[in-house]
Amino acid sequence: MRALLLAALWVHLASCVLLVGTFSMLLLAGQPRAATPRRWDQTLVRGSRLLVLVALGSGVVWLLLRTAVFENRPQAALEPRAVWHAVLDTWPGLVWLARHGLLIVLGVFLAMRASIAERRDWLAARGEALTLATLALALMSASSHAAAITPGTTLAVAVDVTHVVGTGLWVGGLVALALLLRAASREDGADARPYAVLAARRFSRAALIVMLLLVASGALNAIAQVESVAALAGTTHGRLLLAKLVVLVPILVLAAVNRTRILPALSAPSVPIGRSTMRHLTAFVGLEAVLALVLLGLAAAMTLTTPARHAEPVWPLPFRLSPDVLDDVPTMRWRALLGSQLAVAGLVALIASCLVRRRRVPVLAGGLALVAIGAGVGVLPLVVDAYPTTYKRPLLTYHAASIASGMTIYREHCAGCHGATGAAGSLADLRSPPTSRRHAGEIFWLISHGIPERGMPDFGSRLGEARRWDVINFIRALGAAKGAQALGSRVEPDRAWLAAPDFTVAVGPLAPGALRDHRGRRMVLLVLYTLPESRARMAELARSYDVLSVIGVEIIAVPIHAPAEAIRELGSSPAVLFPVVTDGNGDIIATYGMFAPGPHAEILIDRQGYIRAIWRGGEMPQASVVQAQVEKLNDEKSPPPFPDDHVH
Amino acid sequence: MPVWQVALVLNLTFAVGLGLGYAGWGRRAEALDREFDAARAQVERLERERAACGPGARAGEQQWEGRGVVRAIYPQLLVITHEEIRGLLPARTTSFRAASTLREWIRIGDPIRFSLRGTLVDDAAVVAVERW
Repeated sequence: MRALLLAALWVHLASCVLLVGTFSMLLLAGQPRAATPRRWDQTLVRGSRLLVLVALGSGVVWLLLRTAVFENRPQAALEPRAVWHAVLDTWPGLVWLARHGLLIVLGVFLAMRASIAERRDWLAARGEALTLATLALALMSASSHAAAITPGTTLAVAVDVTHVVGTGLWVGGLVALALLLRAASREDGADARPYAVLAARRFSRAALIVMLLLVASGALNAIAQVESVAALAGTTHGRLLLAKLVVLVPILVLAAVNRTRILPALSAPSVPIGRSTMRHLTAFVGLEAVLALVLLGLAAAMTLTTPARHAEPVWPLPFRLSPDVLDDVPTMRWRALLGSQLAVAGLVALIASCLVRRRRVPVLAGGLALVAIGAGVGVLPLVVDAYPTTYKRPLLTYHAASIASGMTIYREHCAGCHGATGAAGSLADLRSPPTSRRHAGEIFWLISHGIPERGMPDFGSRLGEARRWDVINFIRALGAAKGAQALGSRVEPDRAWLAAPDFTVAVGPLAPGALRDHRGRRMVLLVLYTLPESRARMAELARSYDVLSVIGVEIIAVPIHAPAEAIRELGSSPAVLFPVVTDGNGDIIATYGMFAPGPHAEILIDRQGYIRAIWRGGEMPQASVVQAQVEKLNDEKSPPPFPDDHVH
Repeated sequence: MPVWQVALVLNLTFAVGLGLGYAGWGRRAEALDREFDAARAQVERLERERAACGPGARAGEQQWEGRGVVRAIYPQLLVITHEEIRGLLPARTTSFRAASTLREWIRIGDPIRFSLRGTLVDDAAVVAVERW
């Protein structure tokens, strides 16, 4: 079914593209006067009528197949009600309707038998056909992947329209030009050769501008839809894009040869236009057009695949480059610096070899050698092991419930070898920066498949995927907790680096909230308390709640014991009005107890969701001390972005 | 008719069609959305007013229903951490006036369902309480 859908979409896209290119090429070449160019003009218009029919037919087939895919029933393609629903009740259906309405108008317009002998009539006829075909093609962007980008939908659609219409002007124009050149290269086509050369030169100039627009809009599309190298190399959508680039290279080479060699040979004023040169140009332009149609097939396939940014990347290589190596092994920095400088010198030599004619070959060879040596010296040390799941997206968020669950699993399955704290014997310290900086997907692979050469068993068959992610969240929290030891009770302005694990705030049977609900709005003072030791401090917090609330702080109190009766135990004098967690405190205590152990601890979390100050081990700060730290946070000018919800 | 005139008429038809389409359908759809929201708010307000109807009810008085946890009890006030009270307040902690008879069996920390009656948030008072 998907192969049929792809074929229908490719035929539809190609016919729409050819329609745009045909009429743009006719307008570029100008109204023909000689017999052969006029025959070419009429052939193109006859072909356009056929193309409109093909576009409409393939469009209808595409709609029927898409209905069947959406309904997940092959027979739905033949049910009028299902098709009607797909057309009228979905946005892509409405766009389909508008586009096919335009194609029908274009078909009727092309079917008109009218005199176009006068120049303005000819221009109006071809210009109108180009306008209708361009609108029908451009509207495809309204239901493309670009239309699903938010925010910035308008810009994304505008970029996509540029790319699609540019493709029409270039690819469609190539086919029309190839037909003109073929007609002109025949024995009886001598009267068309000056016209064909003029048309080819105009097309060449226009194609250069269109190609620059295509590259720019394609790059912007790729940035929006692919987002990362992992998605480019590890997803179907990304690999189709790479295939497009691979096909584009020979097209550009052919275009460059046509532009720099063949066209000047045809345009020289003293040389008569030769048939053999014209045939060469025909063959090259024809080949370019065929490759461009392959490119359209790949573009159609990209339309039917999930955009790379939403797909799960499967890393295809056994290695990746990691700049973090430079932090872990300082001696590598010199090698990287030396290698990068050699590569830059090599690139300069390569550019020079393109600009200078003398000694081009030795300069080119030297440049390539320098780039290769630079890469060997500077890049090889950055190579680290990678696995298919290296860029896998975590199944679970960095949440206290997951961390607490991971702690239990870790104690049961991992602590025997790695130790309760994650650092035991000769095994890697799970809290150390090299482990913390590893991609979560790599740790997932190692836990799932084990490291047989070091005696680590695989847990893929023993622990479900969610439980493995729990362990990874716990390992991340272990590293974060070790880093948090450097964090004191004083806020360091503009140094937010420690993400606060999210947690659920449940007060009685009320709908539970979460720490992340406060992001971007209020700071949170998380208070882990024990009664009766913390009673005086809780009374002080109750009294100062109004002041803290005014300066942007919400207090969330978490009892270390007896959560069900927590509100009642705090009493009414003074009244405690801030949220007191009465359900699920265990997860919060287990997680935040790693950062701030003790019978009483307080953790100040900023508006972005980063831990900024910790009072641990029973330390109970005075209200004025907390207020002073909050004021520092209020004075920060450039808050960092929200931390990611998942570990990476 | 010459082809250039046909093209001109066709483009004008498109432009006029788009303009009329937006004026007659696009703007009307926006207006209908606004009217629908206003009508829904009116219906909800009337339902609350109907719920508040009874002996001694004041003009414009409405009734709201809420759920929450009692946080503090004062002689004239009840402080409740509540869920969103539709048409009155978002989820938060609020103090409401409450008759002493309603507060006899309530303790701090109790989860309750409660009814509020009044014309707006400032004069809304708790008129009924039951265990949640």
